Amino acid sequence: MSTSRDRILDRLRAAQPLAVAVKPSNGHLPMVPLGGQSPAGLRAQFIEQAEKLACIIHQPAAGTDAIQTVLGIIGADRLILSWGLEHIGLPGFAEALATSGIRATQAREASARIGVTGVDACLAATGSLVIATGVGKPRVASLLPPVHIAIVRPGQIIADFETWVALQHRNGPDDFRAQASQVVISGPSRTADIAMQLILGMHGPGELHLVIVGAYRGNI
Amino acid sequence: MTLPKREDPQGKRVSLFVTCLVDMLYPATGWAVVDILEYLNVQVDFPPNQTCCGQPGFNAGHRADARQVAIQFLKAFKDAQVIVTPSGSCAAMVRHEYPDLFAEDPLWGAEAARVAAITWEITEFIVDGLGITDLHLRLPARNVFAFHDACHGLRMLGLGRAARALLGSTENAVVGELAESDVCCGFGGLFSVKMADVSGAMLERKISQIEACPAETIVCGDASCLMHINGGLSRQASSKSVRHIAEILAAGLPDKTK
Amino acid sequence: MKVTSNAFIPVAQVALLDHEMRRSVHEGTTTAYQKRLIGMFQSGEEHGEAMRQQAAQAKRRALSRLPQLLEQAEANLTANGAHVLWAEDGDEANRLVLEIARRHGAQSVVKSKSMVSEEIGLNHALEGQGIEVIETDLGEYIIQLAHETPSHIVAPVIHKSLASIRDLFIQQLEMPPTDDAGVMARFARQVLRAKFIAADMGITGGNFVIAETRTVCLVTNEGNGRLVTSLPRIHIAIVGIEKIVETLADYATLTQILPRSATGQSLAVYTHMYNGPRRSGETDGPEEMYVIFVDNGRSEIYGTKYAEVLTCIRCGACMNACPVYRSTGGHAYGWVYPGPVGAVLTPLLNGLENARPLPHASSLCGACKQVCPVDIDLPRMLLDLRDDLFQQGHAEGIWKWGLKLWALGNQSPLLFELGGRAARTLTGGRAPRKLPGPLRGWSKFRDFPPFAKKSFRQQWRERRGT
Repeated sequence: MSTSRDRILDRLRAAQPLAVAVKPSNGHLPMVPLGGQSPAGLRAQFIEQAEKLACIIHQPAAGTDAIQTVLGIIGADRLILSWGLEHIGLPGFAEALATSGIRATQAREASARIGVTGVDACLAATGSLVIATGVGKPRVASLLPPVHIAIVRPGQIIADFETWVALQHRNGPDDFRAQASQVVISGPSRTADIAMQLILGMHGPGELHLVIVGAYRGNI
Repeated sequence: MTLPKREDPQGKRVSLFVTCLVDMLYPATGWAVVDILEYLNVQVDFPPNQTCCGQPGFNAGHRADARQVAIQFLKAFKDAQVIVTPSGSCAAMVRHEYPDLFAEDPLWGAEAARVAAITWEITEFIVDGLGITDLHLRLPARNVFAFHDACHGLRMLGLGRAARALLGSTENAVVGELAESDVCCGFGGLFSVKMADVSGAMLERKISQIEACPAETIVCGDASCLMHINGGLSRQASSKSVRHIAEILAAGLPDKTK
Repeated sequence: MKVTSNAFIPVAQVALLDHEMRRSVHEGTTTAYQKRLIGMFQSGEEHGEAMRQQAAQAKRRALSRLPQLLEQAEANLTANGAHVLWAEDGDEANRLVLEIARRHGAQSVVKSKSMVSEEIGLNHALEGQGIEVIETDLGEYIIQLAHETPSHIVAPVIHKSLASIRDLFIQQLEMPPTDDAGVMARFARQVLRAKFIAADMGITGGNFVIAETRTVCLVTNEGNGRLVTSLPRIHIAIVGIEKIVETLADYATLTQILPRSATGQSLAVYTHMYNGPRRSGETDGPEEMYVIFVDNGRSEIYGTKYAEVLTCIRCGACMNACPVYRSTGGHAYGWVYPGPVGAVLTPLLNGLENARPLPHASSLCGACKQVCPVDIDLPRMLLDLRDDLFQQGHAEGIWKWGLKLWALGNQSPLLFELGGRAARTLTGGRAPRKLPGPLRGWSKFRDFPPFAKKSFRQQWRERRGT
């Protein structure tokens, strides 16, 4: 007794080989030809692209300045949605939050105005963040609140999507698949559905802060 | 899509394919092409049994009918060494469609491939075939022009560059820009009558760009677009008109014996 | 969705009288067209064209191995913890979704934009069973409120003016009157946020399915895709079988060329990759993930000369470039997919007899092929479909006989010349006021030139003797 699956696959197989012209591929050009860039060059490129996307860039010199920057954005709020703080990679952050009386939660708190996360990688060519899911890295932290603060450590800025893809292969496909999901975020949420007018903050965060930590000596 | 490669046409006799529209409605365009070619010391003949390239029927999906008409073309041009035509769309029909149309045909297949490899639109013939970008022409009076790029010529044959080079090097010709010059005028063969309202809307857009353009004369390489756009311009009693590139260039020839 | 494409000509006639719609569509398409130019060629024309070819090869390679890649994707999506189902047609797909909803007691659904779900009429099927379905993409939400259908595959309300959207929100959502698009969007955000949080099930489409990594991929700009797949406990991804790509590297090319072609963006704001349901210990993401591979006529196309149309990545560039679409808007095409790709897909997926005018709704200008990021030869397919229409007996009598007459007249130089002279005589050397019979549409908008007193060949004979 054949199933829909069988019938579909049988029909497809019966039509092979296709007459569609396929030239053999000679390598994979990256969409954005960056050329070999130093870490400093990648950082500059990342910042330039992210700013074009209306990201707000902060470049604190060291870890302690970064914490001050983040607290500055949090302002008078006493609740933030965030990754488990051990995943953000900002030593002293947990203590600073506690001192300021700010509670960090991983639950889907609808009232939280600010979400704080780290990133898994940054793509210089397009000013994008790559965020993967994982235990202690709730999706809602970069999704529900209207303001998203992403902590970026310098070694995390890589050239482009193609480089990120190559890294996934280097780490082995199981690693990639072990993650339920990855998302590449390029700027704050936006829509142009109303008469082509660009509006930020449709469903996702309308404000995206990138805190790029400077001469940071923590573990990457 | 790769077009059949063409041999160097220098020194060869040119057979004019004047096209059905030019023959019946715009014969002056045909003479303009002859005048320019003879000015360049090219020997020109006119195979008398030519009719149409078959494009209207082909585009309408009536391939068998189109094939019959195309066979007449093949018969008429069987002695041609080089074929030159003042129409990008007709040249595209011959170069692009004839080989496929006769691919399985034991009788006409070879001939179809042959003519596809010897057919030129007039501006590409001068610039790419003969290697001339400056005809040393001088228009009797200063005139501002802008190009409308006929679709088939532009997208299938890469035309436009050659015509601009030739007009650009003509004295007293000022070439400006027409907004959306590469957007279809709405002719599309029988589309213009089968889908008349849509065709009319596309024409409306083209005409509004023409009226907003500083040029008085719009230049085009296809009598079909020209007929369609001029039809709309005259219906609206516009002061502007579209003229064929060959006629504009011919007006700048030094020795006009027309 | 019901196919009404046979009414293209009268529907287009009415649409052409709607000046507000025409203004909106023209503005939207030409803006997107300009943005595409900037986005696609920011690293130079040569590079942009090279990337088009690279994208075309990636999709064609995948297409040529489609059944093998589908099996590969299924085996390991399953190993990743997702459930893979197959639907031959829309009815089966809807049945599968309803079964899943019943099994999990889902009463409310939030949807991210999916054109294949429009094809199969999913919303209607769910609502028929008392399940609440909310479209969350702002454009699709507006469509839903207005009880319309989308008119563009990327910008569903490209045909609506700001004023009409404002009025809709005032009437349906009790929004306080405003002409500020930002205020309107924020109002909708707040309404929809509650829906996201309360929904039992999230349904998305899928832009690509990567066989190598067994990943379902989605692109959105608004963030609704993320919400739909993070908050509800069930996620169903409905994808056409042709969405398969081979490798993550191919995906990197395609997921970057898609936004560049569509809106000029280097990447969509959210480029998502879903490998499976949430992992143990995670606090959000779906508990169950289903992927439904939908055929709905695609496997029939696969075996034909039109197979290449299955490489379409649904960017919308063709309709932005199409001067016919720019004039009529999308509704005239009568189905889910409008514009050039719609003129090809609609007859192929629904039968030529249900979309007879569509292959003729084109001047064959070629702009669509020029902008297609995977280089589909749409003009060629339209020509072939016109040939199919003729072969299958759908050519209108008047044109069949008219073109037979034309062919006869053009096969004989004598008849050709006689015909020309007859036309000259009949029109008395003046511009004919009205063209006869099926050609009368010409005279609605255009004058016709007078026939030359002497044809070129006559003049040649007189001057040159031969």
